[in-house]
Amino acid sequence: MIEYVENACVIDDDPISVFGLKKTIKETKFCKEIIVYENGYEAINGLKDLLNTNSNIPPIIFLDLNMPIMDGWDFLEDFIKIPEENRKNVRIYIISSSVDPRDLIKAKSYSAVNNFFVKPVTTNDLQKVIDEISQ
Amino acid sequence: MSILSSLNYLQDLPIAITVIDLNFKIKNQSSAWLKEFPNDFNSSSISFLEYHSIPQQVKVEVLKMTESQQITPIELEVKNHLNSWYRWKLSPSFSSENNFSGIIIIAKNITEERRERELLKKAEQVAQIGAWELDLISNKLFWTDITRIIHEVPEDYTPTLEKGINFYKAGHHRETITAIVSDSIATGDTWDTELIIITANNTEKWVRARGETEIIDGKCVRVYGTFQDIHEQKLKDIAYTRLAERLKIATKTAKIGIWEYNYTNKNLFWSDEMFDLYKIQKADFDGHKSFWDQSLHPEDREFCMQKVKEAFELKKDLEVEFRIILPNGKIRNIKSVAYTEVDIFGDAKKLVGANWDVTELIYTQLQLTKSEESMQQAFENSSVGMALIGLEGNWIDVNSSLCTSVGYSREEMIQKKIIEVTHPHDWTKDSHFIKKMHEGKLTNYTIEKRFFHKDGTIVNALLTVTTVHKVNGKLSHFIAQVIDVTAMIASENKTKSLLEITKHQNESLLNFAHIVSHNLRSHSTNLSMLTNFLKEETDNGEKVNLERMLSDASESLSETVHHLNEVVHITTNTQENLSNVNLFDSIKRVEKNILALLKEKNASCNILVEKDVIIKAVPAYLDSILLNLFTNSVKYSSQERNLEIHIKNKITNNQVTLHFSDNGQGIDLKRHGEKLFGMYKTFHNHKDAKGIGLFITKNQVEAMNGSITVHSTVNKGTTFVLTFEKA
Repeated sequence: MIEYVENACVIDDDPISVFGLKKTIKETKFCKEIIVYENGYEAINGLKDLLNTNSNIPPIIFLDLNMPIMDGWDFLEDFIKIPEENRKNVRIYIISSSVDPRDLIKAKSYSAVNNFFVKPVTTNDLQKVIDEISQ
Repeated sequence: MSILSSLNYLQDLPIAITVIDLNFKIKNQSSAWLKEFPNDFNSSSISFLEYHSIPQQVKVEVLKMTESQQITPIELEVKNHLNSWYRWKLSPSFSSENNFSGIIIIAKNITEERRERELLKKAEQVAQIGAWELDLISNKLFWTDITRIIHEVPEDYTPTLEKGINFYKAGHHRETITAIVSDSIATGDTWDTELIIITANNTEKWVRARGETEIIDGKCVRVYGTFQDIHEQKLKDIAYTRLAERLKIATKTAKIGIWEYNYTNKNLFWSDEMFDLYKIQKADFDGHKSFWDQSLHPEDREFCMQKVKEAFELKKDLEVEFRIILPNGKIRNIKSVAYTEVDIFGDAKKLVGANWDVTELIYTQLQLTKSEESMQQAFENSSVGMALIGLEGNWIDVNSSLCTSVGYSREEMIQKKIIEVTHPHDWTKDSHFIKKMHEGKLTNYTIEKRFFHKDGTIVNALLTVTTVHKVNGKLSHFIAQVIDVTAMIASENKTKSLLEITKHQNESLLNFAHIVSHNLRSHSTNLSMLTNFLKEETDNGEKVNLERMLSDASESLSETVHHLNEVVHITTNTQENLSNVNLFDSIKRVEKNILALLKEKNASCNILVEKDVIIKAVPAYLDSILLNLFTNSVKYSSQERNLEIHIKNKITNNQVTLHFSDNGQGIDLKRHGEKLFGMYKTFHNHKDAKGIGLFITKNQVEAMNGSITVHSTVNKGTTFVLTFEKA
């Protein structure tokens, strides 16, 4: 069985949500490895650590918006400060329970954001991601 | 004896005459002599020399004449010691042998004559009227002293006809006098003329020269006359003529008619302008007062007659306005002013006065009165408050609308200075503009301004002030219009506060939408997701795991619903539960409750809150707020230093401000500022329930009409600034 990507990153503080996403990813055999960060702060530090040890940032990041300490928006702000060559192959997908259209509009304003999925993330959603990266 | 008889005859002569012999004995005398020189010696032989009443000078002449037997009679005028003047005639008398036998003495009393002459001379001096005489036979010119003085020549100056003529100013004056004199010599006519002479001192002088002639046998033998210095008078005359001329021009231009009325003979004099005013031909004027009477409007006639009568009877000046009817039937209004001339007996004889047309003036006055009346009406009945304001900032007049607005009566208002009824904060604004108006840089301004009502409340008004100028362009007063907007502002404030509430509620709603969209939805999402997993799950172990998660998720949902309910409760039920709470006591109580926690952190609290500050609060909310602030400080205290909390308060107007500071980790407000008081997902199944504290706190503070803001520096500390309503 060959996975589409080596690893993916989930940034979400809600363990149930993370559980659901992990389960769905496994079903689609989307990737081998899933790295989970509980909030933006943990995530940005974790990603920077990866870069410092000359590892690659996971090519897919699922990012929740509402989190303590550092939320998804703040993470995006810090993320785009990472040098371009270190993150050019990284795709960010927002996952949120929010159905507030303002959140959708704001998310689209970030060029680093590829898509916006309303929770729960389904196999269909992941199929879209797979289609995008296969092109 | 012829002599005797002649002597007897002498007694009856009507002149004072006496005859003395060589021994100066009175030989005979007339009764007239005796009357002049009464003989009180009672002696038959009286010596002429013994008369006291005969001046020494006469006696000397008698002695001389007797001694020298002089035969030429002499005449002399001498005053005696009684101040009587006599003209003495001394003639020698001769005996029948033609020998010098004595002196006939005649004394004529000329005292009266002398006095008259002296008076004349005095009069000449006093009146400064000189006299002159030209004897055409001897061709000699004689000048009196005064004439010399007028010519400014010395006393011994001898004038000649030619010299005299040459004193007249060359040209017109000299030619005139030459012509007059020669003409009068030829015709015998008298003359009276005023000409200029140049005196010996080279001064120009106006003189009046009068002349008469004496004609004998149809031939002029003598010309004589008077000579008078009229320089001053003439100058005055000229000035007067000039003035009169000017006045004439003025009255003509100003269309002022001058009249004079003689009460005695009812004669009336009118200047030309009068005819213009009355539109009457001068030729039709008969000079009688009745002429004026006829011109008067019948309704005014009696009244005018009465006024004129009064002026004469009471000798007072006349001032009257009346209507006249012009020949063309038009009516004009005339004003007449006159003064009464009183003669030396104090009787009023004449009225001298002026007439002018005041029809236009009266019409204008009428218009003015009308417009003043309508202005007054508008002023009084305006629903807008109006006032006339003096330059000193005093009310000249106020209308009832303004009085109603400020609660004072008109009388009370006028007693007050404007500054007394003006809100002190608005006075500077007002006086600034008034000053500009005084400087002429501004003609009107409109400001929002607050007045004080009599009962001390504030009257909000829209004030418009406009300047009013006098005819000469100087500031006269101000007109103020005061629109009372108190009710408007009150309703505006109500609208504002309603708007505020609405805005607030909208924000709350938005917040709720946000909360629902994030917080509630995340739970429902989880629940539905877990339920789906559970349905499809076959592994029993995994099923148990899913069920546990499902239970957690439903618990979180219930917790969130509880929080939301709490918030709804805060925002809806606070107002009625507000009570007066002592701020200091509340702080101390909360501090005591978490003393253990503070001790654990080695924290110190510095509470500098006034002990008697009472605020409007819901006690439970206040406790919750304070507890949250304390625990936040403890939770986010710095690892590197012991926690210090400073609490102090400030009182401003009707607000109490509380500063709650710590020296903890601080927070990056640039990043988190706007989210700090928001409700976050963070309060799901986290054990600390982070994120709900400040959200609840903010809601509680605002529900109690207060506010909360934050200042913070990372690694230095955080200060929350809260406001409460003062009780």
